[in-house]
Amino acid sequence: MTVSTGTEAPPEPRSAAARRLLGVAVRHPAVVPLGAVVLALLIGAVIIAAAGLDPLVAYAAVLEGALEPGSLDYTFSVWGFTCGMALAAAIPLRMGEFNLGGNGQLVLGGLAAVVVAGALPGPFAVPLALLAAAVLAGGFGAISAPLATRFKIPIIISTLLLSPVAVAVVSFLIRYPLAERGSGVAQTAQLPEDARMWRLPELSYSNVGLLVIIAMMIVFWIVDSRTAVGYELRVVGANRRFGAYGGIVVGRLALGAMAAAGAAAGIVGAIIVLSAPYRLIDGALLSPGYTFAGFAAALLAGGRPLLIPLTSVLFAVLQVGGAAMERSADVPRQLSDLLQGVVIVVLALRTVLDARRTGRSEH
Amino acid sequence: MTSAAVELRGISKRFDAVVANDGVDLVLRRGTIHAVMGENGAGKSTLMSILFGLVRPDSGDIVVNGVERHFRGPLDAIAAGLGMVHQHFRLFDSMTVAENVVYGAEPTRRGSLDRKAAAARVRELSDRYGLETDPDAVVGRLSAGARQRVEILKALHRDAEILILDEPTAVLTPDEVDSLFAVLRRAADGGATVVLVTHKIHEVLAISDEVTVLRDARVTGRFRTAEATSGALVQAMTGREVREVGNPGTGEPGEVVLEVERLGVTDRGVHRVRDVSFSVRRGEIVGVAGVSGNGQHEVVAAILGTDPIESGTIRLLGRDLASLDVRRRRALGLAVVPEDRRGEGTAVTMSTAENLSLGHHRTPPIGASTGWRRGFLNLRAQRDMARRLIADYDVRTSGEKLPVGALSGGNAQKVVIARELSHDAPVLIAEQPTQGVDIGAIESIHQRLLDYRDQGGAVLLVSHEIAELQALADRVLVMFAGRIVAEYSRADASTERIGAAMAGAAEHRQAGEHEEAAS
Ligand SMILES: Nc1ncnc2c1ncn2[C@@H]1O[C@H](COP(=O)(O)OP(=O)(O)O)[C@@H](O)[C@H]1O
Ligand SMILES: [Mg+2]
Repeated sequence: MTVSTGTEAPPEPRSAAARRLLGVAVRHPAVVPLGAVVLALLIGAVIIAAAGLDPLVAYAAVLEGALEPGSLDYTFSVWGFTCGMALAAAIPLRMGEFNLGGNGQLVLGGLAAVVVAGALPGPFAVPLALLAAAVLAGGFGAISAPLATRFKIPIIISTLLLSPVAVAVVSFLIRYPLAERGSGVAQTAQLPEDARMWRLPELSYSNVGLLVIIAMMIVFWIVDSRTAVGYELRVVGANRRFGAYGGIVVGRLALGAMAAAGAAAGIVGAIIVLSAPYRLIDGALLSPGYTFAGFAAALLAGGRPLLIPLTSVLFAVLQVGGAAMERSADVPRQLSDLLQGVVIVVLALRTVLDARRTGRSEH
Repeated sequence: MTSAAVELRGISKRFDAVVANDGVDLVLRRGTIHAVMGENGAGKSTLMSILFGLVRPDSGDIVVNGVERHFRGPLDAIAAGLGMVHQHFRLFDSMTVAENVVYGAEPTRRGSLDRKAAAARVRELSDRYGLETDPDAVVGRLSAGARQRVEILKALHRDAEILILDEPTAVLTPDEVDSLFAVLRRAADGGATVVLVTHKIHEVLAISDEVTVLRDARVTGRFRTAEATSGALVQAMTGREVREVGNPGTGEPGEVVLEVERLGVTDRGVHRVRDVSFSVRRGEIVGVAGVSGNGQHEVVAAILGTDPIESGTIRLLGRDLASLDVRRRRALGLAVVPEDRRGEGTAVTMSTAENLSLGHHRTPPIGASTGWRRGFLNLRAQRDMARRLIADYDVRTSGEKLPVGALSGGNAQKVVIARELSHDAPVLIAEQPTQGVDIGAIESIHQRLLDYRDQGGAVLLVSHEIAELQALADRVLVMFAGRIVAEYSRADASTERIGAAMAGAAEHRQAGEHEEAAS
């Protein structure tokens, strides 16, 4: 093997250089994720065309609907919530674990916030509500770690199974003990003025909650790249046996990662209920599909902190623009869900194929 | 003179700043076994990957049976009559031998796999070449040697007449090596052309007809084996005569720092380790010999704490390890070079710097343990330490950012050794520290172990290379079927005795009778 410095490196034949570049491009880690997005858009186009409509018109309607000046404020807030839920998926993903319990963590956060803010209105209502949401949802997320370490129930399974339980409990609480008296609707009473998320000037959907989520993303980025804990997460994600051999306590790391993931989801839930219409409405936290979109965004980003804001843009635009598409191009907005689904399936396929390849003998 | 089955002319290939092949010519004559030898990182695997269509050369020609070829991928190479057995097996663990062999070229009956025909084909090939295999066995349960036979069958099934084997003996026991060589000889006598990549000189001399030696991406020697001497081969491989590391023997060993007493390990109901007791003192290298799979690895895992123990006690620096996890055991003073470099010793997708940092990431200078920076990493210190270790241990790489997976085996092993020795732990366990490592690197690794011992370190050296144990160990324990069946002092550790004990000759003797048992 010879290591040559830049100056003495002989010039390569042009075709060889081009071929090498192509080789690098094809093996680049971004190829599969980008391919997934392109494939999803193509499949969507085929379906729209099959329905006798023009895919280009439909996609243009999506972009226009999401990015016209009037909807930017709304798109921004959706982007924030998608980023928040992407964090809930990305933190465990960094160590190779899948958190499928975002829904349960989200509604528990909403519940904790509405109870605390409702009970203690005043200058500390918002921070206390966020804290309570982080604690309750984080604690709930963390349950999956000992289940994995002690009882060998994989995190992907326990989060998936526990989540509907939390959703059902919160739904019950909203309908009965916490229901607004006399309204007959499954919702809590509106929070008083001084228990609402602080507003940002000129904006009606995006508020200080968006800044909180951005702050969480920055913290994740710093922890991931600059701290011992982030390093351990990445080591375990790259090779679990290597981590265990090196003395990393994988169970404790999973506990922290799941608590942080649950806390992130819980804070998203808290921000939603502390924003208009300032109450916890049964089903309202889940119907926009932030959990699923965030999961797709995290998967597309491979859990990398700096990519999550970008991949979240895609799903936020699809989500907001989907409604506009339905209005102006007559394409049902469920198409957005379909596109998300295709992206997830392609990326999941990749994971399965990777696992199968490494499942071959490596001795 | 037989005709050329393959001619490679002027093959060059570079990976970024690393030149892997530089104008390499290689001629393989039909019906011969041709050894390609060279140190780790010399470019052997790259050359073979180019021949098999896995890697495109930057320049150079490939001529197979007189026809110039431009392979777009391995399928083209297979169609041209080539077959390859890779350094890392590419088999499906959950499928049977027959299914693996015919995978990609299946006999079918009414559109689905014809299992009977597949099994019959495997039996026919096994008989013809003397490859012992059970077509219905599940590959995941097979030994490394058996898996390799499956790989060879796979190539033969597709009618390969040019067989490429990349370091096939690295994972084999001596007996398995012998039977592999018998198979290869039979294939060559039948008209096949065999390329055998290896860095073991005795293998080259034992089996090959011709040899091509690579060093630093270039051909540095071509020999007819009958006319080659081991000295000439070493000279071509390393550019110098290999010096045996001198082991002047111990001074006086110090106090006991690692003590294992009546250790028992059970894995899913199977006793892996039974009643094993030994101790290691400061300034002493204790060797553990044994054919792999006789409990040595389980002893190491028990000491490190990655696997639970069934019975017995382990003391490190006088402290019982029972209640300590891996992190605390390491902090107390334990370093381990594991047997499975890719699976346990490294994270191949992470950078060399990050691989070198494991265990240093919570202590200064890389990790701050106090103050407001507690828990943060000092990335500059991480880079500096990586550069220093890369230079100190002569790791051949284009930089500390390169993923460890891109390093050759010997260089990746140097990364592991560098990391573990840099912990300055008083006790080191080294498991197969030179497996799959070239001569130059072996020498430097051996020297490191001796230096560490001379500075008062205690070493438990697990190896199945008897010569390695003889060169380094002050005492040799032999394990067979989960027990220590013999112990020899440095003076008594002859190849015959150790070999006999490894084969189980001393199995029925009681502990304490070790010395007479083997003599
Ligand atoms: N895919 C790759 N990317 C970058 N460098 C590589 C790659 N494959 C091999 N190399 C480098 O090329 C050199 C030759 O490697 P290899 O052919 O594997 O050597 P050998 O098989 O003789 O040990 C080594 O320095 C190795 O690090
Ligand atoms: Mg190689």
